Formats: sequence, C-alpha cells, structure tokens
Amino acid sequence: MSAPETSTPSAARVQPSIARARTGRIATSTAIHTVLFGYTIIALFPVVLVLLNSFKTKRAIFGDPLGLPFGKTFSAIGYLDVLHKGDFATYFTNSFVVTVVALFLIVLLGAAAAHALAEYRFPGNGFLGVYLIIGIMVPIRLGTVAILQMMVQLHLVNTLTALILVYTAQGLPVAVFILTEFMRTLSRDIKDSARIDGLSEYRIFFEVVLPLIRPVLATVAVFSMIPIWNDLWFPLILAPGEGTRTVTLGVQQFIGQYTVNWNAVLAALTLAIVPVLVLYAFFSRQLIRGITSGAVKG
Amino acid sequence: MTDIAPTGTPAKPDETARAPRRKMRLHIAVFLAPAVLIYTLFSIYPLIESLRLSLQSSVPGGEADYVGLANYAKLFFDPLWADQFLNALKNNVVMFCTIMVVQNPIGLVLAALLSLPKVRFTGTYRTLLFMPTLLSVVIIGFVWQLILSPLWGVTDGFLRAIGLAHAYKPWLGLEGSALFTLSMISVWQYVGVPMMLIYAALLSIPDELIDAARIDGLRGWAIFWKVKLPLILPTLGLVGILTYIGNFTVSFDLIYAVQGALAGPNFSTDVMGTFLFRTFFGQQTQLGDPHMGATVASVLFFIILAGVSVYLLAVQRRLQRYEM
Amino acid sequence: MAQLSLSAVRKAYDKHVVIPGADLEIADGEFVVFVGPSGCGKSTLLRMIAGLEEITGGDVRIDGQRINELGPADRGIAMVFQSYALYPHKDVYGNMAFALKHAGVDKAVIEERVSKAAAILGLEPLLKRRPKQLSGGQRQRVAIGRAIVRDPKIFLFDEPLSNLDAALRVQMRVEILRLHQRLKSTMIYVTHDQVEAMTLADRIVVLHGGRIEQVGTPMELYHHPANLFVAGFIGSPKMNILAGTVEAASADNATVRLAAGASISVPVGASPAPGAKVSFGVRPEHLAIADAASASITGTAQVVERLGGETLVHVELADGATLVVKTDGECLARVGDIVGVTAQGAHCHLFDEAGLCLPKAEKHVLAV
Repeated sequence: MSAPETSTPSAARVQPSIARARTGRIATSTAIHTVLFGYTIIALFPVVLVLLNSFKTKRAIFGDPLGLPFGKTFSAIGYLDVLHKGDFATYFTNSFVVTVVALFLIVLLGAAAAHALAEYRFPGNGFLGVYLIIGIMVPIRLGTVAILQMMVQLHLVNTLTALILVYTAQGLPVAVFILTEFMRTLSRDIKDSARIDGLSEYRIFFEVVLPLIRPVLATVAVFSMIPIWNDLWFPLILAPGEGTRTVTLGVQQFIGQYTVNWNAVLAALTLAIVPVLVLYAFFSRQLIRGITSGAVKG
Repeated sequence: MTDIAPTGTPAKPDETARAPRRKMRLHIAVFLAPAVLIYTLFSIYPLIESLRLSLQSSVPGGEADYVGLANYAKLFFDPLWADQFLNALKNNVVMFCTIMVVQNPIGLVLAALLSLPKVRFTGTYRTLLFMPTLLSVVIIGFVWQLILSPLWGVTDGFLRAIGLAHAYKPWLGLEGSALFTLSMISVWQYVGVPMMLIYAALLSIPDELIDAARIDGLRGWAIFWKVKLPLILPTLGLVGILTYIGNFTVSFDLIYAVQGALAGPNFSTDVMGTFLFRTFFGQQTQLGDPHMGATVASVLFFIILAGVSVYLLAVQRRLQRYEM
Repeated sequence: MAQLSLSAVRKAYDKHVVIPGADLEIADGEFVVFVGPSGCGKSTLLRMIAGLEEITGGDVRIDGQRINELGPADRGIAMVFQSYALYPHKDVYGNMAFALKHAGVDKAVIEERVSKAAAILGLEPLLKRRPKQLSGGQRQRVAIGRAIVRDPKIFLFDEPLSNLDAALRVQMRVEILRLHQRLKSTMIYVTHDQVEAMTLADRIVVLHGGRIEQVGTPMELYHHPANLFVAGFIGSPKMNILAGTVEAASADNATVRLAAGASISVPVGASPAPGAKVSFGVRPEHLAIADAASASITGTAQVVERLGGETLVHVELADGATLVVKTDGECLARVGDIVGVTAQGAHCHLFDEAGLCLPKAEKHVLAV
C-alpha cells in the first residue's frame, strides 16, 4: 500500500517552493536572533565591563576600558585594597548566615503552614490562607518604623537575628502561597496510606510530604534568596554596625568611602557580583521555575 | 457496606482522616503556629503599629501624645512637608509611568520572540537576559554610575564611536535627566521579570489553540494580537501591579545607592522611599521623627493598597484568567 | 464537492522519517477513519492534510488541485481538535464566527451561518456562554459548530471524542454520524479507538509505523485483514493466532496442522506448498466450546470470564498456546475443565511467514 521512497515527477516541482519557504524562514530566524542577541549584549555588557576592569591597572582602566586584563594591564591591586581596607570576610559570613538561616526558616515554617492549610479542614482555614499571603502585596518595609522600635526593645539592633526574623516574615507569604498550591496537587492516597501504616501526622509531614515536594522547596528557597541577599534597606536600618554588615551594605559603605580608588571600587563590586552569578549558574532552573509557577498560578 | 473503620462508627471517607478530633487540632496548630507567629510579629503587627504611631506625636525624649490626623495634615498642607512629599510622589509617578512604557513592552517583545516555536538557544537567552535582575540594585546602581561617569569616559567614548560626539552629558548629575536615567537603569535591571512572567503565560497557551487559529486563517502577528495577547492580559495586569509595588518600595535602594539619601541633584530624584528614610532618620539639619516617618509609611501603605485594590477589583475581575 | 488524493506523501523531521510515503484516494462525501496505535503517524498525516505540518515530499490534492503550499485557511478544510481548542476569551458565538470575521465576511452572512450551525447542533441557548461555562459535550459541539460555519470541503477530526466520558462518547458518535448523513461532506476522522472506526467509517485506513497497512470498509478489514497487524488490531477480543504447518493444499483449500496437534481445513484461494510454515488466525467469536471427546482441539480452561450474555473461555492447549473462545452466556465450563474447541473453517485465516494474509477462496458476503 505504501509507495517506495523514490521521487515522483511532482517532487521536482516541489523543490523551488520549499527552497523559497526555507529562505524566508532563515530571514525571520536571523531577525529574531539579532534582536535577542542584541539585547543579551545590552544585558551583559555593564557587568562584564566591571568584571574585566577590576583586574586592570588604573592606567588601563581609563586608557582602554574595553581591553582584556592581560600582561602589563593586569593588576589585582584593587582586590588587595579591598582586603586591607574592608572586612569582606565578615560581610560575606554575615550575608551567608542571615540568608541560610532565614531560608531554612522560610522553607520549613512555610512548608509546615502550607501543609496544614492544604491537608486539613478546620475552622479558619480560609481566613489563615488569605492572611498569610496578604504580605505578597503589602511590602514589609512599610512597617519599618515599628520594626526598629521593636528591635530596640528586644535589644536586637545590630544583630543578625533581627535581620533573620524580618526576612523570614518577609519570605513566608510567597513560600506559603507557592507551597500550598503545590501541596493541593499531592495525592491524598499516599498520605492516607501512611496513616494506615500508623505514621503520626508529624512523621507524615517530615517523611512523606517533605520528600515529595523537595524540588519545589528548592525552587522556593532559590526564589526567596535573591531579595534577602541583595537587600540594602534593613541592613542599613537594623544592623549597620561594622560587625553585622552584609555584603550589600558593606560594598555600599566601602564604595561611599573610597570613591576615588577605582581599582578598589571595581574589585568590591566584582566581589559582590560573582557569588550571585555562580549561584545563578547552578540554580537558574529552579529560580525560573519559581517565577513562572507564580505567573501561571497567580 | 464496606465500612471497615476500626471504631465501628460509620465514617464518611473524607472524615476518617480526622477521626480523633482533639489530637488533630494540636498538630494543626503546631504546623501553623511558628509561621503565623513570626509573620504576625514582624510583618503584620509593625504595619498596624506604624498606622498607630502615625496618629501620635512626641518631642524627643518625651511621651507620645495622640494627635489624630495632625501628622497627615502636616504632611499634606504644611509647605515644609507638602512640597517634599508632593515632589517625591510626583517623581514616583513619573518613574512608574516611564518604566511601564519602556520596560514592559520590551519584556513583551522578548517574551514573544522567546516563545516562538523552533527558535534555538531560548534557554540560554532566557538565562542571560534574566541575569541582571538577580544582582543587587545597589551594585547595579554603582555599576551604571561608573559607566555613565564623565571620569571613566566609557559612555562618552561609545557615543563618539557611533558618531554622536557631543551627545554625552553626565545625565545622572543633571536635574533634568537624572530621574529618567535612573528609570532606565531600573528598566535595564528588571526587564527580565515581565519577560519571564509573560513568557510563562505564552507557553501555557495550548498548541491546539494556535493550530485552530491557523485553520481559521490567522498568521504570524494576527495570531499574536487576536489570540495570544487577549489570553495573557491577566499576566500583563500582574506585571503592572508588580511594577507599581516595586516602584514605591524598591526604588529606594537604587536612588540611595546612586544619589544618596538627599536624592540629588536638588531632590530631583527624591521618591517616597528616600523621603521616608530622611523623615525617619533625619537629615543634615533636621532631626528624625518616628511619628512623621510612620505617617509617610502609612501614606505609602494606602497608596499601595489603593493600587492593589484597583488591580484586584477592576483589572483582575475583567481580565479573568482563562481555563486553558 | 471534494475529493482528496495523497500521492507518495512523506514526512520527515531532519533525518527521522515519520511517514515514508502514503498513497490514498478519498472520494467526495466519504467518511474515512484513520486508525492505528499511538505514534503510528495518523495525526501527522491529518495535520499535513490540514496544512499544520509541512509536507516533506509528495502531493496532496483536493479536487485535483495541488495544495501543498497553501495555508491551512486556504485549503477549504475545517478541523475539530481533541482538546476542542476553543478560544477561552470568546463566547460560543464569537468562537464560531471568528474565522469568518477574520476573513472579512459580511456580518449578516456570519450571523445567518452561525445560527444555522447552532440550530443543527442545538447550541442556540448557549451562544452567549464562555467555553469554561460549558460541559465537555457542549464544548465538543461548539468545536464542531465552528467547523460547520466555515462550510468546508473537508472536515478533519483529530480524536475528537477522546476527552469525553464513555456514555457521552457513544452519544456524540451518533451525532457525528447524523451530521455526516445530513451534510454529505467529505470527512476524515483520526482515532485510536477501533469501535469508533468500525461504527463511523465508510472506509478505514489502518496505519502502523507510518505506513498504511490496509484501506477498506469495516467489514473488509474484519473479514479479510490484509496482514497479521490488521488482523490483531481490528476486533475485540483479539484474533487468536497459532503456529501451524500446511499439510495438504488444493485450489481452494488448505489443511493446516497446528502445533498443538489438531488439523483444520481453511478455504484459501492460493495455498502455499505442503510443509510451509503459516500462522493460523481465528477470531474468538468463530470458535465454540464442544465436547472434549469429539472435538479436534482440546485444552484446559484456564480463565472463565462471564459477561452475562456471553462467556470468554481462555483455553490452554497442549503446546502451551492459549485460545480465547467467545461463547454464549449459558456455557457451563469451569476453570480446570478439559474442554474441546471447534472452529468454523470458513472464518479462519492463514498468514504466510511475512505476515501477509493468504487470500480467501471467496469474499465474505458483507465485504464485497
């Protein structure tokens, strides 16, 4: 029934039109890639420029900003300055501690609350669900005056604990929102089967639910990390002391102090940028999933 | 008939899970309490407390007195305050409009291109285009400050190279152009957000619907305008409200980093965030005032609340999410 | 009036060949069903006819005119999709009117055509509703209405009933059949469900691995399958296939010895020489349970499925092969019984080593 694969007379006539269609497609595709590539250059250029020049001599920074750091133009003087004049090791440790602890709390407490909202029917479930996600729309910064007063009373000013508490409160609404949506899609049967096996509700949460939603937890963590790591407002207000500065605040203060030392400024900026880029290289997939899941569900 | 509940009491399948009632209540509370507690203490309570503080006044060191809406009256009508407040509000609105008009159309175009079938390297483009969004606004502010600086001359040199030798001006330092320049920096950094949101929405449109449109005689741009765009309107609404909220809060970081708390030159880039910061902490000659700070924050709260309400009531209802 | 012809139509993605070359003639007003397992290329073939998929090689002609390069809207076709593909932002009227509006058809004409289609499908009370306010069956009706409004030369259906529940599927099947009788248009219908294929089609095209295995009326496929694949695909429960050897052959008959020992005479036109290996095929409904002492085939009843009106008995033969016998509901066989099985030779099939069916001596009366 099926014909052999030889070309029929009509196949010859087909060729020109296919060729025409193909050139049209190539033209369209070239145009698309020109736009996308062009904008990618715009997106990357400033960052690349700073990274490159942070490794150059002062003369090369001004004489040939676009050149690569190579041979005579190479210099790490900026980094030496930064290491001597600023306490970047402390800043990084602070940012790291604040971010990791806050993320741990956001993910764990957020997942527990989301599990309760998605799994059990109890009076006030609907209200609490709405209450917990109001924070997505109302920025926590608006309560800064009261937060500072409260931290003063709790003797938490200039401690990392203050930042951790505020960031946990700030991150919970989005985490609860995404996790509740996701947990509602989990099969009820698997939890019921765990109940029949005699697991307590706590063990069901830790041993059945959490492992099932691990990928989503990663997404939520990566997604919540960015605003915490990058924030300037709360470190500036709640923990501006030398010993509790985060990287963002540290860089900001450092640059304010050494504006004329271009090598040091560029090196400080690079130090702030690179860790984020490295993390992004590893976690871009989770991050993008987090953003898009919000778009599809929200 | 097949009731095998161990207690022997007839239970609907749905209720078997919460048969032992008292025990259930406790673990629900254990799951919820930590999140609710932290969130209430450090997010909701401060908001309400700020509203309360805005109704009080005090001299430094003294007791706080209830003054009703006097702080608001001062903010709106006392020329000392009103001028600054209106200036900051105006700048925020200008910045919001600029960003809406520039950033979101660019994001839409990029998303539309990325979502086309058979375009290669979309994953790479997506990752790279989104990269600036991740970096701290503070860092980005400094980076652009350097690039636009007359000292470095990168921008100057670039304009010379493309034949615009005299076009360069220190835009960030000029009253007329500083706010617009900052808006553009913000656009540069955040264009990835609308791009990603719109991209995701476009991808969620089923292929069969596009096939149906092709059968119905639509091609290329007509499919985009008549089928895809109406379907992603809810996402455009979401992008709008996110831009709105971000503009009234996060714009502080950029302006504080680039122009300082005084939002120079001559307050031409002052926004609600920097205004709030100065009011709360004081500036050169003026002492900080937590009650006026709380008042500014509360006004900002109502502005955002108004925006969100408009979005939820008008936009969200009309731009209903389509089941696809 | 539309007649469709495919000649040497080929589809390949880069080097991966999906359809190596299909030839098919569809007459005006015919209802043709493409059927086959998933991945057999039936949807790809339909989408090439629709213009949604580029044609790698060969010609598609409607009424003699080559349409390979025409856009989907210019081919005079309309398509109904599995997911209905209704525009969620338009109401029922808007969905049905969309193509005509885009083509710039006069408003009055649109209105007349939409209300006519709505009347045919009983959609009048729903015209102002949005797709999400409709049930699955109603959405499917709107999707069909959208096709009718365009007054196409050819209707294309891509698994249109797969998303409906079983009861609704039967009801919509009848409606589509009525629609075809009423409109008398050419219709091409893709499905993986052989019941839909058998009940709807004037002719069925069986596809497998991108190739057309057989084209014929439902009764032709049932009584005269071209090869083992079609024999196994059409009919439920599946045809029993047993290994055998030709013992004796004449001009209109062949005697086959089965591996299990029994000999059966099958009326085939051109028989291979004695000694040739063949596959012997017989449908469960053409077997009967008989007394073990007198029957030529005997075995042990392994499973007895009682459906009320009929009984399926799975009989294990001496060589380990299993025969499924469809018999009446009164059958008394129990699991473990030794039972005899008799076959109606006229309804048996022989397949050569390549899997092709040896032609029967006479055509079945329903398949001529």
